[in-house]
Amino acid sequence: MWRVLGSSPSADKTWKVFWCRGRGQNISRVMPREMGPDGAPGQVVPWRKVLWEHQPFPDNYVDRRFLEELRRNEGIRQYRYWAVVKEAGFVGQQLSSVAIFITLWLYMEQGLLSPERLLLTCLLSTLLGYGLHQTLTPLTKSGCELRTRLADLQSATIFLSFTFGFSPVLKTLTESVSTDTVYAMSAVMLLAHLVSFPYAHPSPPGSLSLNAALFASVCLASRLPGALHTFAMLSCALLVFALWPCLLQRLREYAPNQFTGLCVAVCVGGVVGLASQSPGGAVLLALALGTVTLFCPLLLVRLQRHKDNIHGPWDEAEIHEELGHILHS
Amino acid sequence: MHQRQRAGALKKSSSQKCPEAPADNFRGSTKKHSICMVSDFFYPNMGGVESHIYQLSQCLIEKGHKVVVVTHAYGRRKGVRYLTNGLKVYYLPLQVMYNQSTATTCFHSLPLMRCVFVRERITVVHAHSSFSAMAHDSLFHAKTMGLNTVFTDHSLFGFADVSSVLTNKLLTVSLCDTNHIICVSYTSKENTVLRAALNPEIVSVIPNAVDPTDFTPDPSFRRDDRITIVVISRLVYRKGIDLLGGIIPELCLKYPDLHFLIGGEGPKRIVLEEVREKYQLHDRVRLLGALEHKDVRGVLVQGHIFLNTSLTEAFCMAIVEGASCGLQVVSTRVGGIPEVLPEELITLCEPTVRSLCAGLETVIARQRVGSLPPPESIHSRVRTLYTWRNVAERTEKVYDRVSTEEVLPLDRRLLRLRSHCGPVAGSVFAFMAVLDFLFLLLLQWLVPDRVMDVAVDATGPRSMWGQGSSIKLNATKGAANPDLFGE
Repeated sequence: MWRVLGSSPSADKTWKVFWCRGRGQNISRVMPREMGPDGAPGQVVPWRKVLWEHQPFPDNYVDRRFLEELRRNEGIRQYRYWAVVKEAGFVGQQLSSVAIFITLWLYMEQGLLSPERLLLTCLLSTLLGYGLHQTLTPLTKSGCELRTRLADLQSATIFLSFTFGFSPVLKTLTESVSTDTVYAMSAVMLLAHLVSFPYAHPSPPGSLSLNAALFASVCLASRLPGALHTFAMLSCALLVFALWPCLLQRLREYAPNQFTGLCVAVCVGGVVGLASQSPGGAVLLALALGTVTLFCPLLLVRLQRHKDNIHGPWDEAEIHEELGHILHS
Repeated sequence: MHQRQRAGALKKSSSQKCPEAPADNFRGSTKKHSICMVSDFFYPNMGGVESHIYQLSQCLIEKGHKVVVVTHAYGRRKGVRYLTNGLKVYYLPLQVMYNQSTATTCFHSLPLMRCVFVRERITVVHAHSSFSAMAHDSLFHAKTMGLNTVFTDHSLFGFADVSSVLTNKLLTVSLCDTNHIICVSYTSKENTVLRAALNPEIVSVIPNAVDPTDFTPDPSFRRDDRITIVVISRLVYRKGIDLLGGIIPELCLKYPDLHFLIGGEGPKRIVLEEVREKYQLHDRVRLLGALEHKDVRGVLVQGHIFLNTSLTEAFCMAIVEGASCGLQVVSTRVGGIPEVLPEELITLCEPTVRSLCAGLETVIARQRVGSLPPPESIHSRVRTLYTWRNVAERTEKVYDRVSTEEVLPLDRRLLRLRSHCGPVAGSVFAFMAVLDFLFLLLLQWLVPDRVMDVAVDATGPRSMWGQGSSIKLNATKGAANPDLFGE
């Protein structure tokens, strides 16, 4: 009897093919074996997606409306290659900044660069950068400008005087540690700086990345010949790792074209600078820059085709409203 | 306490004739199964899964099946315990890792589980809840031992984040050779089919149920000079308590006679307390804290409207309980909720403060006019919708079907794992399956099945329950089980 009844719906058998997630496998629909609470499958009544009604369908019945509320790749972002390359430029220039810092240190260590010249260059570029930063600061914020300049001057003085005062201490800080350990530690810390750097919002630079970079600078600076060398190197580190990202962020916001040019310039500068000291290192840096700025974006855009995000009524609802005002108005 | 109460109610009603007794027409399910329910979540823990297992087991026992429950030890509650009607519960000494779920190594639980399965002569292993590691372990071992398996999924899960990608992969592995899967709503079925890449045909939808005798209306508890909105839920983010915190001040400012009665405890309690503090609503918003199950009805009957603000829900028993007590239900339209109650009993809203407020306002207006149906009529409408006997009957059909199916032998199981779960995970778990099988062979060599004592049946066709407690409790296994001598 069941076989007879079971065959009646197969007259309008629709071999609907279900899309099955991630596997791309096709599941053909066949009439399920009857096992419902109620008996005869008189298929005149359409199936409804409700539980409160006892329907004349087996419990494992699969209607053609199964999964009809499934939505795929909702609100997906389409990436364009060159736009991604532009954004990746920031990562590349940060990599190059680290290389430039290491190059400067190499010069200092071999006595090719005197601390006085480095300090002078740092001072000039700081003034230049500060001026640029002030120009790019939008006028709407200019209400408290005077106070800000005074505060800037204050913190600069504090930083410089403390660094200068402590540089003899910092110089001897790692004397009892072997040089290999110091280099290894610096390398790990600079890597940590690169990994943890907040590329999306680099101003202010994240505390973890900034601390890692300064730790590495102290380690490296303590291997230099004199106390003034240490002071110059640490001031340079503050410039490169703390102030430079803030200026770049301003540029990215208000002068996007110049920003791209600057990124390219920093990348080229990093490679050329390193080449003068270690050609092998320069080749490696160039390869890394190429991978980060050209190959990775290509990979992202290519793999975007395989993105397969599914949504449906089972998703947890999100609260979009701003509910903070209820408590904090 | 509540267990005992519930059980009392069941015993009482078991003397009556089963309302949906099968007309036993075509293929009457005369076959009796030995079912082992496995889950990390069981009494003394409390919740939807726990009561589901308990109530389903009771109804299956009533239908003459043998049921044992296996869970992990809760504190000093270890070993074998008997609940009402001889429901035997094994509290296995397995280490709890997180959130009452046991740690899993895929192997360490095999000796204990094998012991239970063999001693109880289990034919079907029924695991519950995808959050329970023990349930997945038991499925894995049961397949190794050649037993039929059923799995009930009680929850919905997303696809977007790393944790759900991992759990979904594990679910795929766990369910790819399970005989049958039960979901509590159609939405849950779609979700599970997608998550575990299943053939939808081996997934049945069997909703949860509510004991209507526990939730009866009593309008005399209502205060007529005010309108009371009742909320009963854990106060956690997923239950949309932030939305509730937005609704309370908005409606309380508009309707001076509106009162809120909120039962439940959780980390989001602070949100409600802050709202109450800021808007000076101490006399109108009452936070009752954690409620025992037996007290829930006493709170529900005081209200006019039941509000549910969940952000995700597979079935939502709370709204059925609310409606069963005669309350008008207002709920968010998420997960399986739209499937649960007919339109005239529920007002569905989007999960936003504005939409929920609008929904509540229309219901308040109807309440003022008096155009809402009386509690008794709502109750009589709801009481027949979801009953545990109906659930048991439909689950029984699943067992009948499953018991005719073959369990994949090891070679085909390995092929299935490899073909269904991807080359990496499939190979890893195929290797695990082989190891599990070898471990089983070792255990069988150490202690062969035939020398293992067979346990005394407390339920099922050969039940010794209720035949004089002295025999049952003190007799030795051999004496209480004549079969053993016969062999």
